[in-house]
Amino acid sequence: MTPGMAFPHLHVASAYSPHYGVTLPETLAEQAAAQGAGFLAVTDRDGLYGAVKHVRACVAAGIRPGLGADLAVHDDEHRPIGRVVVLAHGSTSGRGYAALCRAVSACHESGSAHRAGKTPSINRARLAELAGLRALTVLIGPDSDVGAALLRRDTAEARARLASWLRTMPPGSLALEVVCHLADSGRPGSVAPATRMLGLAEHAGLPAVLTNAVRYGTPEEAVTADLADAARALTPLAQLEQLQSNGQAWLKPAALMRQVARMVVDAGTHEGGALERLLRDTELLAERCALDPVADIGLGRPRMPEASVIGVTGDPVAELWRRARHGIDTRYAGTGQVEAAHARLAHEMKTVEHLGFASYFLTVARVADLIRDMGVRIQARGSGVGSVLNYALHTSSVEPLSNGLLWERFLSPERQTLPDIDLDVESARRHDIYRAIFATFGSDRVSLMSMTNAYRGRGAVRDAGLALGLPDDQVAAIAKQMWRFNARDFRRALDEKPELEALAAEVRESQQLDLLVDLTAKLDRLPRHISVHPCGVILSDASLLDRTPVQASGMGLPMSQFDKHDMDPMGLIKLDILGVRMQSAMAHAVAEHRRLTGETIDLDRVPLDDPATYELIRSTRTLGIFQLESPGQMELVGKLQPEVFNDLTVEISLFRPGPMQNNMPLLYLQARHGEVAPDYLHPRFEAILRETKGVVIFHEQVMRLFDELTGCGLGKADVFRRHLGKPDQLPEIEAWLRERALERGFPPAVISRVWKVLAGFGSFGFAKAHGAAFALPTYQSAWLKTHHPAVFLAGLLTHDPGMWPKDLLVAEARTLGVPVLGLDVQHSALDYRVEELVDGRQGIRLALPELAGSSETERARIARHQPFTSLQDFRDRVRPRRRSFEALARVGALDSFIGYDRDRRHELLAHIQGLQGTAVAIDDDQLAFDVDLPVPDYLGAVTSLDLRGRTQTDLELRDLHLAIGHHQMERFHSLFAELGVTPASALGSLPGGTEVLIAGVRRATNTPPMRGGRRVVFVSLDDGTGPVSNVVFFHDAQERVGGQVFSTNYMLVRGRTRRSGAKGVSVTGENLWDLFEVARQVAQRQAADRLATAKADAAQAAETAGALRTAEPHHNVHHLWPATRRA
Amino acid sequence: MSQVAFPRITSPQITSPQIIDARVDVELSADGDPRSFIWNRFEHTVIGQPQAVFSRTSWWENDGVPTRIDTELWRLDASRGGEEQHRYDLRHDVDGSWVLALDWG
Repeated sequence: MTPGMAFPHLHVASAYSPHYGVTLPETLAEQAAAQGAGFLAVTDRDGLYGAVKHVRACVAAGIRPGLGADLAVHDDEHRPIGRVVVLAHGSTSGRGYAALCRAVSACHESGSAHRAGKTPSINRARLAELAGLRALTVLIGPDSDVGAALLRRDTAEARARLASWLRTMPPGSLALEVVCHLADSGRPGSVAPATRMLGLAEHAGLPAVLTNAVRYGTPEEAVTADLADAARALTPLAQLEQLQSNGQAWLKPAALMRQVARMVVDAGTHEGGALERLLRDTELLAERCALDPVADIGLGRPRMPEASVIGVTGDPVAELWRRARHGIDTRYAGTGQVEAAHARLAHEMKTVEHLGFASYFLTVARVADLIRDMGVRIQARGSGVGSVLNYALHTSSVEPLSNGLLWERFLSPERQTLPDIDLDVESARRHDIYRAIFATFGSDRVSLMSMTNAYRGRGAVRDAGLALGLPDDQVAAIAKQMWRFNARDFRRALDEKPELEALAAEVRESQQLDLLVDLTAKLDRLPRHISVHPCGVILSDASLLDRTPVQASGMGLPMSQFDKHDMDPMGLIKLDILGVRMQSAMAHAVAEHRRLTGETIDLDRVPLDDPATYELIRSTRTLGIFQLESPGQMELVGKLQPEVFNDLTVEISLFRPGPMQNNMPLLYLQARHGEVAPDYLHPRFEAILRETKGVVIFHEQVMRLFDELTGCGLGKADVFRRHLGKPDQLPEIEAWLRERALERGFPPAVISRVWKVLAGFGSFGFAKAHGAAFALPTYQSAWLKTHHPAVFLAGLLTHDPGMWPKDLLVAEARTLGVPVLGLDVQHSALDYRVEELVDGRQGIRLALPELAGSSETERARIARHQPFTSLQDFRDRVRPRRRSFEALARVGALDSFIGYDRDRRHELLAHIQGLQGTAVAIDDDQLAFDVDLPVPDYLGAVTSLDLRGRTQTDLELRDLHLAIGHHQMERFHSLFAELGVTPASALGSLPGGTEVLIAGVRRATNTPPMRGGRRVVFVSLDDGTGPVSNVVFFHDAQERVGGQVFSTNYMLVRGRTRRSGAKGVSVTGENLWDLFEVARQVAQRQAADRLATAKADAAQAAETAGALRTAEPHHNVHHLWPATRRA
Repeated sequence: MSQVAFPRITSPQITSPQIIDARVDVELSADGDPRSFIWNRFEHTVIGQPQAVFSRTSWWENDGVPTRIDTELWRLDASRGGEEQHRYDLRHDVDGSWVLALDWG
């Protein structure tokens, strides 16, 4: 850097200082470089949140990075002594950066952070210890205790406080920080305290450095910093006491910083040469703090856990070979693929050795073993599934060769990033797994990953509204409308979107709202806070805490301040361990089956060719099956009619936004069902495209096409595949591909066609490895549903993995002939259990948590003290609150105390309502008093208002949100018979185009992406006769029906059947009515018919009936409805 | 050992400034400080180190989002020819223009 032309900023908060800095590190680095600076430090508050991004931005901008943190400090008595800037020294082989990381982590240690107040804070003695490594400089500036005294003009106190710092800190570790924002005199940031700070440095013989305590890149962004201050203090700007003095905390260029320095020096009496010394000392410190991204920070150098912690004594490569060969011999035994697998292993190992990743594979395998040994279900996902090595190590359970998966999609010498293997585990056990990994590898090698949460529309409008002091309800009302557009486009959205017209009118009338719109846009995308990432676990060697600062996550375990974008540059190995509810549901099913029968089902060994399982899938009764249960998937599965495992992989891969929008399902289905001949473009492509009938669906196919066309090798082919998503790269790839393909003998016409396919493919598609990894739990869940429906549904009801409401799962159980047993305090557990019934069937017992409003302690006591000898025993031991007690009686959970005679429930309820005083508290271990329930006293005497006029189903829906005894639609079945409504279970037998009336309760609404872009609304109706019937409302119908398509929950629909494939049928909705309204009008008509007098009523009812009858179902559906019971 | 002096801004001797509010042309030094300004056709030469003060506004009380949240004011001593020096406040607006705001005498 040229002296005088550049100024090195040493104290800069980036936007990753939440609610403080407002400019992204990339912008700051570019600006500094443009200003001619050769150095820029980022010193975020309380952490290194923006550090990696800053270092990378500096490398990109060609300047040298500095790193530090703006930290609160407390003394030994836990008294806060202000904030200081801690800067790491460079050229220390990473010692400075390591000490900085440790200082930041120390700030967040619960001991210090909580005792000194809410702000993270470091003990000064601890800071001194870390500075003792002679690789840190601590800047004592205006926000320190010393600076506070200087602001008050209390020079004596300032000197005393500085002396205290000098006593604690090692020699040479302190510098004084002069900051002047040219604020009004008497305010922080004015010239007077700055010149006093400079004077103090001279007095103490310490170096003074000039910074601008930067919070934003440009003066324009000072407004945003005001908003950040208001949001941090949760106080409107007009009432905020600690407003920034002015808008001068920006990244000023050298000339302006020199100007500030001159004014500071001129404002006081200083030694000769003070100005040049201040600037020189600033440059000297910057020089000292310039970090080498590689030598100091370790950028781009992967660090794996040491061999010893992954159970390896010798050379990791040899150990990996040994385990992999052994794995192949056992896993491929008897498949006829042993040799092929060994050959593929040799191919994969070549890359592994070349890249030095042997320890990585051993580490992941170690984690997978650990999880399996805990008895937790595990399933690898992602491109790593394409590796025979991972399969051999039991990291993955999908066999790659027979599924046509490619190693190069996962790893190749051409890929510059660290490999990524995702592990899906039982969601209910995820935290246990994290703790086990910390225990096994040691908390100095493991950390959770964080994620940065940024402002989006609603948060932005709320905080902007807060800053302006707008009323909460007004802001909330506006926030509700902030969706389907970016907050930064708020102004344009107001102009363009008709649904925002009312708001736009208000904005035109109000100066405050007008401001709000622009301020909201300013906050959009700014980082707000970090939180623990839902699945990222960082594994490294014992140097981990020297390379990343950590803080406590919500679940207590330490979490890195770095997010997923920082992992690869920092050489941090990240494992995605994702909790998947379906895995928990299947584990529950297997456990229940073992509890009941003693048999162990090994789901991972279930043959993948069970005909009954495919039969069930083809029937489209896929409710509850992983990945296949949405209405759209039901329809696609009906058309596709899967027969083998690979069909499931294809199905799942087709049901993605990209393929859907590009009409790939239709093209594939036409070829699959022989309506058109598969088009392989060229005979040399047939082997690649045969499995998908000529349609390019998978990433792996794109890679193979590239390779076949150009002979570039699969590794390079994957690089090209990734570039297909970047339009600016396409011409170059095309030119190269054409040239090579011509050389390799492809005719120009073929090249043009295949290029069109490849270019159109873009980057969307799907890795077949993903699809196959999804297909496995899909098949496993389908197999369980086919062969063990009761335990499977118990698993689904316990872990609720899918998209459908539980009430529908209960209905599905009923349709499958699995009785759902009501809540019973004698039998219900904390989860759904399966019971053997006297008739030999299996029934599902409702779980205690379903009782709305019950507390966890009440439920735990019920589960603990079962069974109960009497109502009094129950009351004494469980001590239920009155509300829960009564709810239990209403839903029949206390029926055991009245001999399961449900006609006596009202007596029971009346008795409970009559109970006075508190229950006798009984020690948990004491035997119960055995006193009989005094029910006979009330026999016939009381009818509870709570039960009068309500059906049991009403009570169940009220207290459980589930209809247990009967389907909630049964009350309408006689009406359906009267109107000629077709039951959902009978729809499948109708030809396409049949006019029908269907009805039911809404179970789901979907607006899937559609070719052509016009919104299509899918409504899934449940009428209690079988699976849901899916109604499609196209654009014209939506216009006819209006808002009801989203708002009416019990509906009658007129439409036409629409057949899709052998089993698929849905209804194209033409009109809909509110079912309750229809029921009321029909009741009126019936009354009118009976009396045959009230003509007016009859006319009105006839009008409705006429409207309904226009559908005129051509067949008699009355007999299709089950005999109506009292529901 | 240094003696911390009170900056001139806080000097108490000045009481009643004269409001001028006139646009002036300002010439800057190589360092970017005002070196002289022309007012009433006369050049006024700045003496010593001028001092800038940025005062924040309560921008949320006004229309629209501002590009600056503060106003830039320069307090400086200047003299016309060989005459006695006066203290002036010069305002530097966002559009780059300079306004002679006050003459403190």
